[in-house]
Amino acid sequence: MVASSSSWSRALVQISPYTFSAVGIAISIGVSVLGAAWGIYITGSSLIGAAIKAPRITSKNLISVIFCEAVAIYGVIVAIILQTKLESVPSSKIYEPESLRAGYSIFASGIIVGFANLVCGLCVGIIGSSCALSDAQNSSLFVKILVIEIFGSALGLFGVIVGIIMSAQATWPSKA
Amino acid sequence: MIGVVNKFFVTSIFMWAAPVAILYGFNHKLLPGSTQLSPESMTLWSGILAVISVNVVIGLYIYLAMKEPSDKHEPDPKFLADAKASMNQLRPGEADRSKQE
Repeated sequence: MVASSSSWSRALVQISPYTFSAVGIAISIGVSVLGAAWGIYITGSSLIGAAIKAPRITSKNLISVIFCEAVAIYGVIVAIILQTKLESVPSSKIYEPESLRAGYSIFASGIIVGFANLVCGLCVGIIGSSCALSDAQNSSLFVKILVIEIFGSALGLFGVIVGIIMSAQATWPSKA
Repeated sequence: MIGVVNKFFVTSIFMWAAPVAILYGFNHKLLPGSTQLSPESMTLWSGILAVISVNVVIGLYIYLAMKEPSDKHEPDPKFLADAKASMNQLRPGEADRSKQE
């Protein structure tokens, strides 16, 4: 064996790129769904409470719930794309630079998408809850707050676009 | 209320089905233009089209939801009839009191 020096850098470099890829895929779907669920329960509880006194708000304010659900679907889309990027390489090539690069880019893509969707879901959820409450008081405010919500959901979109572009270049070394 | 839930449910199903169908079509080369793409551009195109399809479904739902008329608050007819009757009753009473003063 090589000399007894062990360091974090050696340990990190010897983690298989498949580990990184798998963790990236898990984060992309898991943390996105976390953000979407958080947003939906914040919006849903305000919506149901406000609809006691003003039942007319339910049909329009489900738009907020749809925005939060779109965040979860972005996570699913990227997880499916990342899964199709996983390829087997022969064990002699696992630690080649190109292999490591592919593993790291799948990992990074998963983190980008997961955390962007987490905060986007949270943002849209809080705005949606305020939207429901103010719509119950005064229905002319709904369209104005919807504009803010559209800006909020664009944040998740940025994360998805960067994640997809990042994962598009994840090519493993060919088997030959 | 049932109509609202139906519309929401159908939209949710489409929001899931459309991007997964697009990704499936690209990966298994079912769509017409997808046969000779490099894996890199296939990822890009399939991802971007899937995201666009989700946003199109959201836009359709927003359009449908804004179009439906919000229910006006209908006042209870009995309450309304009682209120009108009490107004008519007050007029002759008031006229009497003002004549006495």
